[in-house]
Amino acid sequence: MHSDARAEIFNHDLADLRLLHLADSALPIGGLAHSFGLESLVSQELLGVSDLREFLCGFLEEAGMVEAVFCREAFRLVRIGQGKLSADRWVELNDRLGALKPARESRVGSASLGKNFLTLAAALGDFEVLSEALEASKGAGSAVHHSLAWGLASGVLGFVEDRAVLAYLHQSVASLVSACQRLLPLGQSAATRILWNVKPAILEAANRSATCAVDDVCCFMPLLDCGAMEHPALQTRLFIS
Amino acid sequence: MERMAGVAEAGCGTKPVLVLSRSHRVQASLQLDFQRDGRTGRTVLASSHQEPPLRVVRAFALDDGAALVHLHNVSGGLLGGDRLGLKLNVGAEACAQITTAGATRIYRPREESPVTTQSNEVVIGENALLEYLPDPLIPFAGARYSQRTVIQLSPGAGLFWWEVLAPGREARGEIFEYASLEMKTDLVAIGRPIAIERVCLTPGKYSLSSRARLGSYRTWATFYICRVGLEARTWLELERNLRGTVEPFSAPGITLWGISTLTAHGLVVRGVARRGRDVLAGLHALWRAAKPQLYGRDAVPPRKVN
Repeated sequence: MHSDARAEIFNHDLADLRLLHLADSALPIGGLAHSFGLESLVSQELLGVSDLREFLCGFLEEAGMVEAVFCREAFRLVRIGQGKLSADRWVELNDRLGALKPARESRVGSASLGKNFLTLAAALGDFEVLSEALEASKGAGSAVHHSLAWGLASGVLGFVEDRAVLAYLHQSVASLVSACQRLLPLGQSAATRILWNVKPAILEAANRSATCAVDDVCCFMPLLDCGAMEHPALQTRLFIS
Repeated sequence: MERMAGVAEAGCGTKPVLVLSRSHRVQASLQLDFQRDGRTGRTVLASSHQEPPLRVVRAFALDDGAALVHLHNVSGGLLGGDRLGLKLNVGAEACAQITTAGATRIYRPREESPVTTQSNEVVIGENALLEYLPDPLIPFAGARYSQRTVIQLSPGAGLFWWEVLAPGREARGEIFEYASLEMKTDLVAIGRPIAIERVCLTPGKYSLSSRARLGSYRTWATFYICRVGLEARTWLELERNLRGTVEPFSAPGITLWGISTLTAHGLVVRGVARRGRDVLAGLHALWRAAKPQLYGRDAVPPRKVN
């Protein structure tokens, strides 16, 4: 085999391994500390084990789509800028995504994960664009949301866009399922089965997001909004959000 | 349902009338400009531009100096293909209260009709206040509707803005039978977005009764409470206070509320209910509780003409 071809295969495999690594729920960015409103829904008996699959599919159709569209937009920032960051656009995207999140705790949770993720990714190598993004957000007093941080880092690291979006959605849903294991009588086998069964919905959301603009993406999850908004008022809480 | 194309002069000195047509759709706008009268300190409807079917009859003076107007749609509701626009300007220091004469009905369109659209452009000047308190939106079976709202808030500007979406004509058992409903809302304070709402509902495709959406609830409400420039801790305190206010209006399976601070300058309230009237009672209670805390004066419910 020609050395160029070998190098290409190596780089491709390396990118896949890095993507797997970053999508691991054990990545130390605080993902396991958030339920994004699920804790309230469970507390109010609005969500049970039997509803979980349907709920997650609906989540992917709504909030999952929003995050996927913004993830792609951040990914494309690197390509459009030919390796340079458009700091204004980066801040604008984060402001927009923050304004789309009505519940404070979920918004802050997304910003916390995003900042932690980008900081961690920036420190994994010489990734000037990621450091610039952190600086730009700090300078503008703007948040760094998780899906945008993921998209930007994926673009910088040379991942394939569709695979990066799929991995983002998968780790998001896996994180919610994990939260449900601590909130509901949901065993490991059942949780694995649920995550296995929602994969087509992950694909569907990722595919739909490919042609949707950030101004057009919609989200209607009023029950989860109410749950996330009322989470601060819960008497006993396992999660930050 | 079918009707008018536009406006025609009925004769010298008479008011415009609506002309019925099967081939055209209504394109109409209503522009209202509220200004504070520097001499009296009262808000007046300084100018208005009205195209049927959108009308306001007059502005009523409220005790606190604000001006109240009722929005009328003289055709009784929104018909297939209508393209309506509302432009509101509330000048610096002015206070305007706007309500509707009744629920906004979105009728079933003809199959070939384009989507019914409503565009709302709102500018609230420095230290001005807009209270927008309409009756619910009722999409009939088969309705297709798209609404776009942009609200610009200047420094010190205040806003009480609610919208209630009914599932349909509940008394007829018509629940979520509309074809599509889109609501896009942008709240921008001093050039920066503080709330963006993008809702696209197609009950035939994505079930609204999913636990991820409304579950067993049917009516949905959103209420924005803003005053630009107030500190974050003021909003956190108000959020806590309003949570107490709305508690008597919350009942599992009947009504559910959520209250949260926005990214800055305000709060958003979400409400879902089995019955529409339960949502309206909660919204009024929240408004009555919030206004004194933000403005030091009472909320005065709009007088209704019907």
